[in-house]
Amino acid sequence: MSADASDLSLVRRVQRGDKGAFDALVLKYQHKLVKLVMRYVRNPAEAEDIAQEAFIKAYRALPQFRGDSAFYTWLYRIAINTAKNAVVSRDRSPIEYNVDRSSTDNDESYDMQGRMKDSETPEGLVLTDEIRSTVNAAIDALPEDLRTAIVLRELEGLSYEEIAAAMGCPVGTVRSRIFRAREAIDRRLREVFEGGLGRTEELG
Amino acid sequence: MNEELDSQLSAMFDNELPAAECELLARRLSRDADLKARWGRYAVVGAVIRAERGVALDGTMAGRVSAALSTEPALSLDPAQASRRGSGLSWWQPLAGAGLAAGVAVVSILWLRSQALPGGSHVAVPVLVATRTATFASPSAQGPLQTASATITPDSFVVPPVQQRPMMVVPATELADYVVAHSAFSWPVSRGNLLSSLMVSEPGTSSTPAESEQPVPRVQGNATQNPK
Repeated sequence: MSADASDLSLVRRVQRGDKGAFDALVLKYQHKLVKLVMRYVRNPAEAEDIAQEAFIKAYRALPQFRGDSAFYTWLYRIAINTAKNAVVSRDRSPIEYNVDRSSTDNDESYDMQGRMKDSETPEGLVLTDEIRSTVNAAIDALPEDLRTAIVLRELEGLSYEEIAAAMGCPVGTVRSRIFRAREAIDRRLREVFEGGLGRTEELG
Repeated sequence: MNEELDSQLSAMFDNELPAAECELLARRLSRDADLKARWGRYAVVGAVIRAERGVALDGTMAGRVSAALSTEPALSLDPAQASRRGSGLSWWQPLAGAGLAAGVAVVSILWLRSQALPGGSHVAVPVLVATRTATFASPSAQGPLQTASATITPDSFVVPPVQQRPMMVVPATELADYVVAHSAFSWPVSRGNLLSSLMVSEPGTSSTPAESEQPVPRVQGNATQNPK
């Protein structure tokens, strides 16, 4: 089994013209990418913009992606370069915050860094907090073996084989435990997303 | 939703699904909005467990990226092209390599020849003298080559006085071998020109008896007397 078979199968679909497959890659890596970019910029809104730009650059560069390295390694490299360039560009042209908004409607730098992101709005912050508390509560409610499996996977980044060795069970059992843990968490999370605060956008 | 399908989705999210199953599921994932939403929530669960503070969890960035790319043309790299890219070889790379090798060979020969011919067109090195002497001693080469010897100035058959600059000795036979050895990488036309040029400019230095028996036309045409 290829360690990157899942990503590679999505990448190949994108390369053949299936944009919907790229949505899946964005959904999977958006949080990790924003977290990575936040090592270079402290402002979450700016980090989101840089991550978004990195995804768009990655999409445009996908025809050149040969699969020699893992997709996420390649994507991270693009994000780091984008973040470094953004920092250099920002340092060269510092933002003037005391500007007249009406005179800067066409100013891209103002638009990129001065506006408030959806996630920074009170509603966005409430939603993020609610998601976080819901997931944490669902994890706490999990049976011990399911919780251990999902935490070893997501927090420690262990492979199924490594988790199987750590928990003393077959790989198939690990796969089942992680799936059941996710399903239990997802049942509660879906209520949040589909409730009054849910604002997930239709993709694809 | 199908539990087996969801189990596969979870394994695929962790890069733990066999490649053959990934192909089928990736196709479905790219088209099924519900499956994609579930996939996105799996990512949210991971982000929360890793306590990725400051990261928005509402999934709006994916929507923005999708909207930004909606105006982009879809990629159209066919699988065969992708595999060729994967191999890392392009059609021009072997040609470029051969051209480079031929270029290096020509430059090397020109440089070696310039080292071997410091004073002009006369080849006056001990090795060549020995070769010519042996050739002259051969009974089979007495006719035309003796004719040729009569027209060559004696200076070309003696070891010149020691010069200030150290002179490199490059036997013509080795030079010819060098050209032949590198001819596999050179263009046939330039290879032929190079070899013929070498043979014409180095009369009597051919290593094969059959060639040494052939008179050099230019020299033979100038022959005025026969020692016999």
